[in-house]
Amino acid sequence: MSIQVQRISKQYGSFAALSDVSLTIESGELVALLGPSGSGKTTLLRIIAGLESPDEGLIRLHGEESTGHSASKRGIGFVFQHYALFRHMTISENVAFGLRVQSRKLRPSRGDIRERVRELIHLVQLDSFAEMYPEQLSGGQRQRVALARALAVKPKVLLLDEPFSALDAKVRKELRDWLRRIHDELHVTTVLVTHDQDEALEVADRVAILNQGGLEQIGTPQSIYDNPASPFVYNFLGNVNLFHGRLLADLSPEARGDGRKEPIESAVGFVRPHELEVSRDLPPDEKAVVASVVRIHSAGPQVRLELSIAGNGRPVTAELGRKQFEEMALAPGDSIFIWPQSIRLFDDDGARALLLDQGAGI
Amino acid sequence: MSGRGANSSSALLQPSMQQRTGRIVLIVAALLFLAVFLVLPVVAVFTQAFSQGWKMYADSIHQEDVLSALRLTGLVACISVPLNMLFGIAASWAITRFEFHGKSLLITLIDIPLAVSPVVAGLMYVEVFGLHGWFGPWLSEHNLHVIFAVPGIVLATVFVTFPFVARELIPFMQAQGSDEEVAAVVLGANGWSVLWRITLPNIKWALLYGTILAASRSIGEFGAVSVVSGHIRGQTTTLPLEVEMLYNEYNFTAAFAAASLLTLAAIVTLVLKKTIEVTSGVHRHTEEKEAQS
Repeated sequence: MSIQVQRISKQYGSFAALSDVSLTIESGELVALLGPSGSGKTTLLRIIAGLESPDEGLIRLHGEESTGHSASKRGIGFVFQHYALFRHMTISENVAFGLRVQSRKLRPSRGDIRERVRELIHLVQLDSFAEMYPEQLSGGQRQRVALARALAVKPKVLLLDEPFSALDAKVRKELRDWLRRIHDELHVTTVLVTHDQDEALEVADRVAILNQGGLEQIGTPQSIYDNPASPFVYNFLGNVNLFHGRLLADLSPEARGDGRKEPIESAVGFVRPHELEVSRDLPPDEKAVVASVVRIHSAGPQVRLELSIAGNGRPVTAELGRKQFEEMALAPGDSIFIWPQSIRLFDDDGARALLLDQGAGI
Repeated sequence: MSGRGANSSSALLQPSMQQRTGRIVLIVAALLFLAVFLVLPVVAVFTQAFSQGWKMYADSIHQEDVLSALRLTGLVACISVPLNMLFGIAASWAITRFEFHGKSLLITLIDIPLAVSPVVAGLMYVEVFGLHGWFGPWLSEHNLHVIFAVPGIVLATVFVTFPFVARELIPFMQAQGSDEEVAAVVLGANGWSVLWRITLPNIKWALLYGTILAASRSIGEFGAVSVVSGHIRGQTTTLPLEVEMLYNEYNFTAAFAAASLLTLAAIVTLVLKKTIEVTSGVHRHTEEKEAQS
């Protein structure tokens, strides 16, 4: 079932939690709502669920307007950050709850309920825990129960509110992969709220990035990683180096990205650490700056260098493969040349993305 | 330095002779205080009650007036306690689960009966429902008796015991949070299902705890009831009033016999209260929450 969010706004007192947010989630898609805390992502999820009502705008579930429908009538599954399992019920009673409270007309027979609960508990691999109580389970297991409970009512939409953020890193990674597998099996339209960009980029078909109540960008993980639409997105998705500079020549009209005529003099350039080339030798075109190595983080597949640009002392981070690192035999204090493979420019207020050829000077 | 440190720490672990005597004196003083002000009075009630033998005790209780006072006390408790449970659940649900204007005013209102002297509470009801009160003329026209009758006693008792259930439930439900209820709603449960299947099972021990406190107070209430009762023997006297009346008539054995029933009720309450605390961890739960945060 598709979800259409149309021009949703929500105000808490003087704080605008969401302002004029629109997006469409296709049937069977897994979309992550990504943003820092206070960006409005959870509010948007709760509005889709019907747990909050928007001040303005509409929610359409499968084309049908549902803004006025209560949460209990929307046919959604919701998974909470802190599990919200019913503490006085066993695991199977928890999973059966959504079926047992259905009106008599819709409610499956006792036998069917028992069978469905057994299937779901098997799906989340907790067969031997069926008769235990939530407090006897670990965090990861509880969240799997919560997912089984949400899936029991065969929801057309599954909404997850930071489901893994209370878990430790290893369990979080496991559950993330597992969620993706379940989604591929069941194809239920899923919206996942998270503040963890790795989680969003890894699990989701598309990622919607929110900031201060507005939608910054939506797209596939690769497209938003490769083409961030704003400095905010650039900053939020992993490490980035920032260069302020003046443009030596004005850009061609098509490079400027809009029809404005006035000259653009200064700009901000973004370069990801792995896009920064490092070498002991000056490159042939001689477009490079000298930097000294401050610190080396060599635990992991990539080696991260903290550098300081000679002259102005600005800190810069570069990443390189282990092999290159070993060949260069770098040590703190060494002076090296650095230059960007590619750079992405925004004008000073970040409103416009500018195009630039590779290899342009900083 | 280290030598001195070791000395002082061993001095802490092994109290000197002086400190030991000090400790013993304090413990004995505390025990004596308890004995004189708590245990002795309870013992005195029962000694007085049985001072003229078992038969006299049984006869005192079997008097028609005492029995009718006992019945009235039971009736009042049976009406006011369920009312307070209903009110307590409704108020705590509203206060802990919803945001609305005047919430802090409601919380303050709930505490009024604890702040106001019970005698004043009784007088308020006389002023409102009494013969010369606001509704008095209308009530007497329709031949309805509130003051100096059972309804007045019930009203006064309900007022005095108003806060007990709510005050027990509000902090408990605040600590528990509303996540489970929201989860139930999303799963399709309606309001009644949420109340019966989620909220009540989760708060049952705190509810029972508050109910026992309310019941004990409603059985023992004297001041407010005394004002509205009119002391009509066999009709509007509750057990505490009967005790006072017997005592004022110098009928000490009967007074203490009736008092012994109230004392027994108090002891039963304390045992129940302690049992609930131990088995359910009602108060442990909130402490844990606090420790977590």
